[in-house]
Amino acid sequence: MQTAPPSATLAVLARLAWRNLWRHRRRTGLLVLVVAYATLTTVLFWGMQDGFTLSLQTGNARFLSAPALIATQAYFEDPDPEHGLPSLDFLPRIAAQPGVRAAALRLEFPALIRSAYTAEGVRVRGVDPALEPQVSHIPTAIRAGRMLAKRGEVVLGQQLAERLDVRLGERVVLDTSALAGPQALGLQVVGLVHSGIAAVDRGVVLVHLEDARSLTGLSTATGVALDLPRGQEAHLAAALQALLPPDLRAYDLTRLLGGLSAAIGTKQSSTFFIGLIFSLFAALAVTSTVLVSVLERTREFGMMAALGLRPGGLALLVTLETVFATSLGWVLGLVLGYGLNFWMATQNVLGPIFASYGAAWEILGTGNEIYTAQSPLYALYAALTIALATFFSILIPARRVLALKPTEAMRTE
Amino acid sequence: MSPRILLLGLLCFSLSSAATDPQAVLRAIVDNQRGGSVRATLTLSVIRPERQTQYVLEVVSDGLERALIRVQAPPREAGQAFLRVGDNLQLYNPTLKRVLRLPPSGRSDSFLGSDLSYSDLSGRDLEQDYIPRVVAEDDGRIALELTPKPQAPTPYGKIVLQASKPGLVPQEVIYYDQRGQAVRKITFARFAQVNGRSFPTQTSVEDLLRSGYRTSLVYSNYRFGIPIPENCFTVRALEAGC
Repeated sequence: MQTAPPSATLAVLARLAWRNLWRHRRRTGLLVLVVAYATLTTVLFWGMQDGFTLSLQTGNARFLSAPALIATQAYFEDPDPEHGLPSLDFLPRIAAQPGVRAAALRLEFPALIRSAYTAEGVRVRGVDPALEPQVSHIPTAIRAGRMLAKRGEVVLGQQLAERLDVRLGERVVLDTSALAGPQALGLQVVGLVHSGIAAVDRGVVLVHLEDARSLTGLSTATGVALDLPRGQEAHLAAALQALLPPDLRAYDLTRLLGGLSAAIGTKQSSTFFIGLIFSLFAALAVTSTVLVSVLERTREFGMMAALGLRPGGLALLVTLETVFATSLGWVLGLVLGYGLNFWMATQNVLGPIFASYGAAWEILGTGNEIYTAQSPLYALYAALTIALATFFSILIPARRVLALKPTEAMRTE
Repeated sequence: MSPRILLLGLLCFSLSSAATDPQAVLRAIVDNQRGGSVRATLTLSVIRPERQTQYVLEVVSDGLERALIRVQAPPREAGQAFLRVGDNLQLYNPTLKRVLRLPPSGRSDSFLGSDLSYSDLSGRDLEQDYIPRVVAEDDGRIALELTPKPQAPTPYGKIVLQASKPGLVPQEVIYYDQRGQAVRKITFARFAQVNGRSFPTQTSVEDLLRSGYRTSLVYSNYRFGIPIPENCFTVRALEAGC
């Protein structure tokens, strides 16, 4: 007896599998929906996960430092005003670069802050009040009072103010010793910051850039904080490096956050494992649907076997049906998932939802805006669900078909 | 009115203005408080609710912004020395055999764990940082209220300074926080007559927010108005004495 070549058999089985899908529209529809749902949730899961990580990094960067910062290498290693910027000639060049939305001068220095009752060591940030809100979340986290408007004013973290026992309108004294020698200045408290981030609420001290200059004796600044588009910080910082004098460096937020950024990265790898388990369960759900389908079609498979289709061919037919249905579901899920993800990546949908958790959420420092991330990799992660479903369908329903006895199967009701 | 009477009237008016010129009064009070150049032994008693510590110190000061203080006793602290030249403060630690520069905040830091600051011991911060105003005056006393100048490095809301007349001898200084609450009181007693000035040889400082926190400072073996060599205010003098 002459047998058809394997490719021809496969083509016939593929056509048969495709036709079978539409013979059982309700079952196929259910399978496509299950896979589409698994794909959609996989894309959203990773989009939200990556987006949250990015929000965590950018949010913390905007509270603790900036999306990117230009400083001397010496200052980065030893943050002392004596390692400040030698000149500001490069600033117009940087501010004019595409992607740089704002470039704000900062002058940071260690100091002692005194009230009538106690004193504490702090790190003071001298800022340009007009530009700072573009590079930092701190001005938007002022819960009492207002942002700096002129010289002679100071904004404090709320917990720091409580420890010093100073209130809005009262005076504190800053003592420091830098290029200008020992200097002290009395400043009026005009704003209190409550961000939920311990490091900010316990330690932030914002003063006018000119007050910082007179206290330290540094006529330039210790750094330039940059406002860059979300997710492009590293790329743009690297591009700006070429425009800087040799002794200056552009640091992106991962360098600025240091250990915090590494900690967030560790969390990311553990999330990958969670994502894998998620795909596994989605694949098992698809497999169980296929298994039910095989059990319901036992008589049909018995007849096909009686007509001459070998057990291997039957198993291949079941696997092909699974691959086709899951692929349709995958494409549908990708369209829906990426569409939804795009919406949440461009609109601040998640921010207000998470903000409703109040202080418990604030402590993470994401700020008020949380967006999902987008990556072609999510389609690949979702395809893992299909690969696993195919594997399981070979393992369980197809093996059941392989063990089918046509005479018994045809008698099944 | 004859020109002679008019002249006498103008003279009386100018004298009375000088007497109540708050800046001049403050300067005279601080002059008395500082007493000019001095070499003396100080006994510093730091009183706390659970303990009392006594230090014996040797001080050399030009009466302005320079002072050298060396600890003589107790033995555990002996050899420590402090040098203030303007806003610069340096400490000699005999254990480390090192001179350490104190931050500028040291000027208002607690001296040897007491209720005194370096500014209480030397310098003219009251004149530099505050605007005086006469709030009460009679034949025997005058009270000045000092309010901080804009951006002056002081966390206090006001200071009320009492002095006796004539001579404008300092009697009491009360520091208020910015809510009008008294937080610290310095009382002066046992005045020595030094070149026409009344120098308080006993100073008591009380923390009004914490009950039982008090410090007393008593001068003995003092010699005022003597020439102090320049080398007394050097790092070498900080290490080896003067």
